[in-house]
Amino acid sequence: MILQEISYFFKHGQSEKVRELTLRGMAEGVMPSDIVNVLTSYMTELGIKFKNNEIFVPEVLIVARAFNAAIEVLEPIMEPSKVYTRGTVIIGTVEGDLHDIGKNLVKMMLKGNGFHVVDLGVDVKPETFVQAVITHNAQVLAMSALLTTTMIKIKETIDLLVKRGIRQQVYVLIGGAPVTTNYAKEVRADAYARDAGSVSELLIKRGFSKKVL
Amino acid sequence: MTGKERIIEILSHKVTDKIPWVPFAGIHAGALKGYSAKDVLQDGDRLFEALMEVHRLYQPDGMPVVFDLQVEAEILGCELAWSDDTPPSVKSHICATEANIPCRCLLPKETDGRLPMILDTMKRMKKAVGETTALYGLICGPFTLASHLRGNDLFMDMILDEDYVKDLMSFCTEVSLKMIDLYIGSGMDVIAVVDPLVSQISPNHFTELCHESFATVFAYIRSKGVKSSFFVCGNATRQIEVMCKTKPDGISIDENVDIVMAKRITDSYNITIGGNIPLTTLMLHGTQQDNMKYVLDMIDRISHDNLIIAPGCDMPYAVPFENAIGVQQAIRESEQVRSILANYQTVEETIEIDLPDYSSLTKPFIEVFTLDSESCAACTYMMGAVDAIKAYFGDSIDTIEYKYTEKINIARCKKMGVSNLPSIYINGELKWSSIIPSKDEFIQTIKEKLN
Repeated sequence: MILQEISYFFKHGQSEKVRELTLRGMAEGVMPSDIVNVLTSYMTELGIKFKNNEIFVPEVLIVARAFNAAIEVLEPIMEPSKVYTRGTVIIGTVEGDLHDIGKNLVKMMLKGNGFHVVDLGVDVKPETFVQAVITHNAQVLAMSALLTTTMIKIKETIDLLVKRGIRQQVYVLIGGAPVTTNYAKEVRADAYARDAGSVSELLIKRGFSKKVL
Repeated sequence: MTGKERIIEILSHKVTDKIPWVPFAGIHAGALKGYSAKDVLQDGDRLFEALMEVHRLYQPDGMPVVFDLQVEAEILGCELAWSDDTPPSVKSHICATEANIPCRCLLPKETDGRLPMILDTMKRMKKAVGETTALYGLICGPFTLASHLRGNDLFMDMILDEDYVKDLMSFCTEVSLKMIDLYIGSGMDVIAVVDPLVSQISPNHFTELCHESFATVFAYIRSKGVKSSFFVCGNATRQIEVMCKTKPDGISIDENVDIVMAKRITDSYNITIGGNIPLTTLMLHGTQQDNMKYVLDMIDRISHDNLIIAPGCDMPYAVPFENAIGVQQAIRESEQVRSILANYQTVEETIEIDLPDYSSLTKPFIEVFTLDSESCAACTYMMGAVDAIKAYFGDSIDTIEYKYTEKINIARCKKMGVSNLPSIYINGELKWSSIIPSKDEFIQTIKEKLN
């Protein structure tokens, strides 16, 4: 019953109610992983709706806020590997670029789908991306560029991964308004994601699943 | 019909002799003269010089004077991050920490921020080309301005604090009205309300929180006897209809929207649509022929009433000039370009082309490859430069024009590897592609060859 209530308020983006119900659920002995499953299954649905232009940025952000409210309650009592079961993603907007709406949406979609996300913010240097991949032993590096002139930083970062000998260890995903599938091929990224709604689906299809990790 | 008449007529939903062409050369204008984005967005003389080059090379029917959506935010106190090859970005949002409304004492005045430079350039452009070319004054749309002021929290405010969003939108609408007064006062023929973020909210949200602002803005422009256009970026497929309901004279879209589908909607509201040549994949990274082909396909796919052909948005800084020239040529000389492209595909390598023995020339040999110097403006200027050099050096040099309109010249281009037009080759080597050299530079180059 409480899971249904969490689900209802979560879908309506009511973060305070979600926080309260999560705390109550814990007190009543509900398994934290069951709550996580409720949240992530709707985040997946949300991603599809966003991809299909059925919902837009405000609706995603408000649900993401409710997701964070529940996770703040659950994180301290769960091992990170049980909340985030699909692996670690380093995310950021490339050097010289301050745009972050798209990057933030991707981050929320990934968290909501069970990825551990390390957000480096905007204007991130290639060296910082590469160091973060090493430090966090990340499985995925997600880079966003909104400007035709900053796209080149994606290539520079990938080149640096190659130079450090760790290119094969990390799946490189890129996105942003001027970025295309062809550009991804050109700079030897692993994939291009058209929108935030596509990212989790794409990674899960590529094998970043609960079974693998 | 002049370009200006064409734009005014099409935005009045009347018949024009040709499809109007509006290259959105903002920062790209700077590239034509070797200036950075910062140069042309901060220095009026450089901006004017660059805009005149856009006018000369691309022969627009209408053109923007400044394409920078951060002008208003800067005046209101947001800090900008500058770049050499992109417009500035907003770095700090003045309402980010607290959901407040900026003081009305900050509403733009002609002495604020970069407005003295912008208004002066508008007046200079009006005097220089305004008789025949429609000048666009671009303002930041009220919704995108609200996001500049508030930051990303604006999106959540739309659900959690609608009253605040309404108040902020009301303030931003006042800013828009002030900007409209200033730009119309400086001679702008069309006010473009550029609001890329409209594509990021639902049609319902737009109707509830934005409709009134945009409807007010467009009614105000109309009351001033000036034309209006509503520019959006991104996948605004779902928003086109609610945008139409705010009653702009035109709507401009980028490549994320299917223009055929969008035009069905805009036509039903008798609104002119503009767009939507892809910026990156085509204008920046495509070839001249790709650009020509895209435009011809577009022309073939949609009706020509209520239509303006334009890039999807502000052209990237480094768009090769020849691509924009190719677009212009495909719009203005569609049938000629159609035949060029058809010939290009069918011309057989078997057409016998004897290239000169460049290593044993007795004097410098200047070969000019043009689309057609009689119809392509850039080609006319390039050929003019070559004619002037021929007059200067006389018989000590040889010159020739190869027009791409003739099959044999296409075969020659293929054999020589000429990919962009117009181009100047000297002694068989590419010297200038699309850039028309100054007389001094040209003379110096020839003198070096003569020695």
